Amino acid sequence: MQEKVEAQNILSMNSVEVLYDNVILAIKGVSVQVPKGEMIALLGSNGAGKSTTLKAISGLLKAERGRISRGEITFQGTDITEAPAQKRVEMGICHVIEGRRVFEHLTPDENLTAAAPRGMSRSTLNAEKDKIYAYFPRLVERKNSQAGYLSGGEQQMLAIGRALVTQPKLLMLDEPSLGLAPFLVEEIFGILQKINKDEGLSVLLVEQNALAALEIVSQGYLIENGRVVMHGTAEALKSNSDIQEFYLGGGETDFHNVKHYSRRKRWLS
Amino acid sequence: MDWVFLSELAINGVLTGLLYSLFAIGLVLIYKASSVPNLAQGGLTMVGAYVVLALARDVGLPLWLAIPLAAVVMFGLGFGIERVALRRLAGRPVVMILMLTLGLDIFLRGTTLAIWGGTSRSMELGVSYDPLFLGDIFISRIHLVGAGVALALFVAFMLFFRTRTGIKLRAIADDYMASWSVGISVERGVGLSWALASVVAVAAGVIWGEIQGVDQALSLLLLKGLTVAVLGGLDSILGAVIAGIILGVVENVGADFLDPLVGGGSRELIVAAVLILTVMIRPHGLFGRHDIERV
Ligand SMILES: Nc1ncnc2c1ncn2[C@@H]1O[C@H](COP(=O)(O)OP(=O)(O)OP(=O)(O)O)[C@@H](O)[C@H]1O
Ligand SMILES: [Mg+2]
Repeated sequence: MQEKVEAQNILSMNSVEVLYDNVILAIKGVSVQVPKGEMIALLGSNGAGKSTTLKAISGLLKAERGRISRGEITFQGTDITEAPAQKRVEMGICHVIEGRRVFEHLTPDENLTAAAPRGMSRSTLNAEKDKIYAYFPRLVERKNSQAGYLSGGEQQMLAIGRALVTQPKLLMLDEPSLGLAPFLVEEIFGILQKINKDEGLSVLLVEQNALAALEIVSQGYLIENGRVVMHGTAEALKSNSDIQEFYLGGGETDFHNVKHYSRRKRWLS
Repeated sequence: MDWVFLSELAINGVLTGLLYSLFAIGLVLIYKASSVPNLAQGGLTMVGAYVVLALARDVGLPLWLAIPLAAVVMFGLGFGIERVALRRLAGRPVVMILMLTLGLDIFLRGTTLAIWGGTSRSMELGVSYDPLFLGDIFISRIHLVGAGVALALFVAFMLFFRTRTGIKLRAIADDYMASWSVGISVERGVGLSWALASVVAVAAGVIWGEIQGVDQALSLLLLKGLTVAVLGGLDSILGAVIAGIILGVVENVGADFLDPLVGGGSRELIVAAVLILTVMIRPHGLFGRHDIERV
């Protein structure tokens, strides 16, 4: 029974603890499973540990002097807890990091080229690019301008497209909706859903915008203070009263949170 | 006003300036990848020249073979520097990397002094010292050759940065974290930039070694090279070429006017003024990017 569950999960993270600078305990025993081909949301407020969880999975922790001090992560049954970030990308994990960090001085087309895996032939790369431009037609007309001058929505699309060039099996996105107009969030989430359906791509989506996220995922995890405090199907989470109050509420308090959040972001980035 | 003389000053200023560019291109390559002006570029240039001499004089190879071989050796040295020293500093403040390059420069100077001593050796490229006349204007042949090398390297790098590897290097220059996130090996990219800059150092070392002899003074080229790189914007190869030409002309023509007034030595003053004014008035140089700080 247990083994069967394992086999269905493309990613399995068990009781993972992360330390920054050897002292700051950012997540305290987080367990998250991503079933193959499904979209899963990771929800939570500022500083809950969502980004840290993704970095633990992608291996980008190391770049911030963080490390996994306990627990293990397996991807397609292989233990990747200690694997270098580059290896994980080769295996099929790609992490679209917070803040749509496109290569600003490159063109969108060059952004895609930069992400090409070593040894990818020119024709495969061009085919990948064509596919990505088909998903994100907005990028086509801007493909030879400087990426730093694209709009926020276009940059987020480019960041996702760039990740797709690595031919991931698991795509992880860190707050792709941040700072985008609702219609753009809808457009981008729609495209993610389409890619998930067309290609069977598994998706782990970190969001503060729980309302939008729960519309497209099958399950969600709620993280608070470095711990998973809730896990359930999207339907169950949507009808949960705590979630409704704190994450789906809208209104003034939420608005303040958002403002405060974007200010804090500047210091962090 | 003697127009022939003035043109001669200007043309030779352009050529000398391109020789500064030749040096500065190495600085730009490393700045792009590591976000620091490499204070060891002078040391690398000197080592490049000494390695050529070692292969040509001590081993006895012909120069046409010694120079490319030295380029290969220095390419390896550049990679080695990343591997041994820089990789440990990943994620540390940029000023630490700057201090590392300073330490490296002192180390390279000390090592060359210990191995090859302090007496100046000549490169003997075999470029004729017969004057070359363009109409009435006298031009130095070795300067012409050096300027040609600088322009050739400029074109080569412009093309290189359009290749897939070159694009990945530019991506690294933009954002380490984003590069890692899509599986680009930042470490290898930084190593490659140091390797390429070390090859440029061989070219600069050979030309400048021919002009002023091979000794410790070669490492002092750093000062003019830095001035050119800063004026050009530190991360722009085109900037380095144009800034080199500007500095060469301003220095050559300006010194001719100023020297009689101040009684000599005005070249250094002009270089200093260009550096200080650039930093004060246009800190991003002529062609620099505006968001050059990075975590
Ligand atoms: N590089 C770092 N060094 C030290 N502490 C860090 C680092 N990154 C994050 N932390 C700490 O770890 C905790 C979790 O941060 P994390 O960025 O994972 O939260 P998050 O849920 O992504 O928040 P946000 O919604 O603001 O992005 C926070 O307390 C934060 O201060
Ligand atoms: Mg975060």
